[in-house]
Amino acid sequence: MTTDSLSAGDDPRRLLLDIRTLTSRVRRDQRLTYVALLVLAAVTFAAIPFDWLFMTVHCDGSGCTFARRGMLYYWPPALLLAYAAIAVSYVRAARARGLGARVLPYAITGAVTAVVFAAAYTAAAAYFPTHPPFGGGPLPFWWIVLDRLIAPWGLIGLALLVLARLERNVALLLFTLGYLVLMLLVSPTTDDTNLPGWAVPSFMSGASMQLPWSMTPSQLIIGAALLTAGIAFSRARRSQQ
Amino acid sequence: MTADTDTPDPTGHPATGLDEVVHQRIRLGILAIAHEARRVEFGYLRTHLDLTAGNLSKHLSVLETAGLVDIEKGYQGKRARTWITLTTAGNTALAEEISHLKTLIARIETTTEDR
Repeated sequence: MTTDSLSAGDDPRRLLLDIRTLTSRVRRDQRLTYVALLVLAAVTFAAIPFDWLFMTVHCDGSGCTFARRGMLYYWPPALLLAYAAIAVSYVRAARARGLGARVLPYAITGAVTAVVFAAAYTAAAAYFPTHPPFGGGPLPFWWIVLDRLIAPWGLIGLALLVLARLERNVALLLFTLGYLVLMLLVSPTTDDTNLPGWAVPSFMSGASMQLPWSMTPSQLIIGAALLTAGIAFSRARRSQQ
Repeated sequence: MTADTDTPDPTGHPATGLDEVVHQRIRLGILAIAHEARRVEFGYLRTHLDLTAGNLSKHLSVLETAGLVDIEKGYQGKRARTWITLTTAGNTALAEEISHLKTLIARIETTTEDR
């Protein structure tokens, strides 16, 4: 190897190309995208039974209302643990390859979203029972989209955008945009699904109730999207190696 | 060594602003990898820059003497490992080198078009 400061290989274009090649190689070696997606998929699937078990049901003469308390009990700690696990995995894998990790801003964003969700959910649970939005009438679509955006699955998507930026990962960016479209605009609403009720014991209501299936399909769809992407990123990584 | 090139003559040729320490393919590669990786292990640099341990050590020594990298030696389990981190001066030097290279390319392209 030459130690001269100027040589035939020091053409400025060649040097810049070398820098780009080396830095993109480092970024590829630092990535552990599939682990992040698989952890988030696991957390999403694990939320489903919590949703059922911690659902509160209030019935009166006009019918029954369901409150998903499991959202508050499960998601904030689950998200914090998930982002901690993802950060530790990234750091360990990068260190094993002889590199530092650039996952910290993602983990911090994820942790902040967990706190934002908990605060928003608590505020909504305290305010809306006595002040129903839009006078208790039908909700506009933008409201439903906003509601989904600050739900755990929407916040997972926002944090994934940060990860895609950190990793300069175009494939992850495209997936995340598709995921957000699916989650915000396509995923069925509670009213769209006419699935039968299912008798399950609810810890909060203290009795076996006919609880609606309707909120489960969207969680299954979101979990399946994350799981599929995780497997795809894992296979792509193996083929690159 | 780097101080002379911190304020290149803006009216001069862009090549006069190039830092002799940084404007070298291998050392530039070390700085680029260390910048992107936050910190990088000796073995990773040796593998990806395709160098012998001795040659890499010489380049690292030049960069360390110029204050562009910090070198930290330690153990991971029983295995000795050497970690390289870019200093603030190293970050600045890398950014300036890239800026000078882009200016040089622009100058070359302008000159070629004029002909």
